Amino acid sequence: MTDIDDLRSKFLDLEFDRTGFVIDAEQSAKVAKASGETRAEFTDTTDPNFEACAPILASLASGRRLPIDFPTLGGISMDGGKAVACIKPVRPGIKLTGKTHLHDIYAKSGRSGRMIFLVSRMQLYDDSGEHLATTDSRQVIRERPDK
Amino acid sequence: MTVQTIADVVFGDEITPWQPDTSLQATRSFAEAVGYSGSGRFEDHGKARAQGLPGALVPGIMGMGFLTSMIHRWAPQGKIKFIDTVFRAPVLADHDHTVTAVVTDIDEENGEVVLDLTIQNEQEETRVFGTATVHLPAAS
Repeated sequence: MTDIDDLRSKFLDLEFDRTGFVIDAEQSAKVAKASGETRAEFTDTTDPNFEACAPILASLASGRRLPIDFPTLGGISMDGGKAVACIKPVRPGIKLTGKTHLHDIYAKSGRSGRMIFLVSRMQLYDDSGEHLATTDSRQVIRERPDK
Repeated sequence: MTVQTIADVVFGDEITPWQPDTSLQATRSFAEAVGYSGSGRFEDHGKARAQGLPGALVPGIMGMGFLTSMIHRWAPQGKIKFIDTVFRAPVLADHDHTVTAVVTDIDEENGEVVLDLTIQNEQEETRVFGTATVHLPAAS
């Protein structure tokens, strides 16, 4: 059985990926409209306050999902959820840098066995180093009984 | 019902439930825009079933979009500071779903409201749940 405390001590809070992004305004507006958004600041690219919507921020993927030396846990991996913290408006068209680390590792046990949760946190910065947003991606791995 | 300022918010209030567009056309459009298209899992029931899924899915982050859209309609001046969504079970395309939210906390001093969020299917099974923190202007 995977030792969760060992994983936490080795991998938490260490940056393992740095990826650059530029959000396209039309793409963000299309995502917002497809989700039923009606506010112009998310759907109208000509709006002076236009900004990237939360789902497009949540869609930004780091170059690596896990640290390069993270062990293979086996089992079935699922997308367990996403979170977005909006600190400042993210304007499309600007250069963004996403710095990713493992924010949390924990396990939950149920009748069907144990599930391991890996929370990857990406912090998004603009070119001047200002922190604009943070996204969490929760990966759930249903552990195989023989692991 | 909409709210304009923090003073309009009542603890325990339910935001008017909403049925989002989960059609294949909408999920396809969303998947294309976020780069999820191509496998068919969000675009084609047959291709999704061939992958062992019960049918084409609504992308998880599209569910987040349904929730933020509903919050923005409820609070036209509101700013979502944080939203967390847990993907508990698949949301199937072309099936009716209901998006709901309940006010669970009000911090008048900081102008913040906490909402509990859910997306339920036709059987009233919760497929997505989460929370959001929304900043609202103070009453003038």
